[in-house]
Amino acid sequence: MNTVFFSFIAILSLFIFFNLGKVKASQKQRNRNDRVQWGKRPWQGQKANNVSEQRDGTKIIDVTPEDVENKSEKE
Amino acid sequence: MSRHAALDTFGRSGNPVFGEKFSQRGDFAGSQAMSLDGAVNKTGILLALCFGGAFIGWSNPGLMWMGLILGFIAAMYTSFVPRNAHIGAPAYALLEGIALGGISMMFESQYPGIVIQAIGLTFGILASLLFAYKSGLILPTQNFRLMLFSATAGIALLYLVSIIMSFFGSGIGFIHSNGLFGIGFSLFVVGIAALNLVLDFDFIEQGAEMGLPKYMEWYGAFALMVTLVWLYLEILRLLAKLQSRR
Repeated sequence: MNTVFFSFIAILSLFIFFNLGKVKASQKQRNRNDRVQWGKRPWQGQKANNVSEQRDGTKIIDVTPEDVENKSEKE
Repeated sequence: MSRHAALDTFGRSGNPVFGEKFSQRGDFAGSQAMSLDGAVNKTGILLALCFGGAFIGWSNPGLMWMGLILGFIAAMYTSFVPRNAHIGAPAYALLEGIALGGISMMFESQYPGIVIQAIGLTFGILASLLFAYKSGLILPTQNFRLMLFSATAGIALLYLVSIIMSFFGSGIGFIHSNGLFGIGFSLFVVGIAALNLVLDFDFIEQGAEMGLPKYMEWYGAFALMVTLVWLYLEILRLLAKLQSRR
């Protein structure tokens, strides 16, 4: 009984994986600003990675035009 | 064995190759670009090879150590030379399958029925987390990745210290004990291994979106396989601890 139950779970799960795996993730998953940044190291945080400090102490914030527009809309 | 798998995962998670390859986005299009279909199909091929290897390992448990050592070499090679993942990943799956077959046979002889339970739970977790990821129930962020990286590195370090201590006839007792603390530790490790699957899904999803080169399908499938192998072994250990209390 145990074997049948767990075999059924394994086969059903594999069926789900091979079908669901080929479907794109939801809009909620894809359209957000805080996604994992695979081009960066794990320890390079979400907020700090677009701020770079110059030798004279000034900070340069690297943002996209969309970010600027969103900010000005809020204000 | 689980120590080796944990180290594999640790190596993969901190792999600088991820960064380099993601900078190539947009260079590839159409049939030359990575796709979700391709990555899932290649995971299927790796799973089939792993099951084939497990059949060999189950029949010849003496091959277990060979599978472990060569599998580790194949994993390191694939991690650092992703361009050849189409060779390294199948080799890893087959060799790791041989090792898993031997290990599973040993566990099964001690606790009958444990292997099918571990397989069912491993694939059950895979499907559940894939659904949670695709539907947006789990939203991995850079901080989530950092948390998992730290936890995985911590586990790898603990296993490494345990291995070194075992050379001197000592060890970290609670890792292997079947007491409440030992079971709690195993549950924690299973949780961390399971959450690593979410990062693998995200890697494949984003890789397909950005149109990474085709060979990254093999690399994504390889990453998923490493995590699955680790998860399976940790579930096997957890179930063995639980059954040994009876």
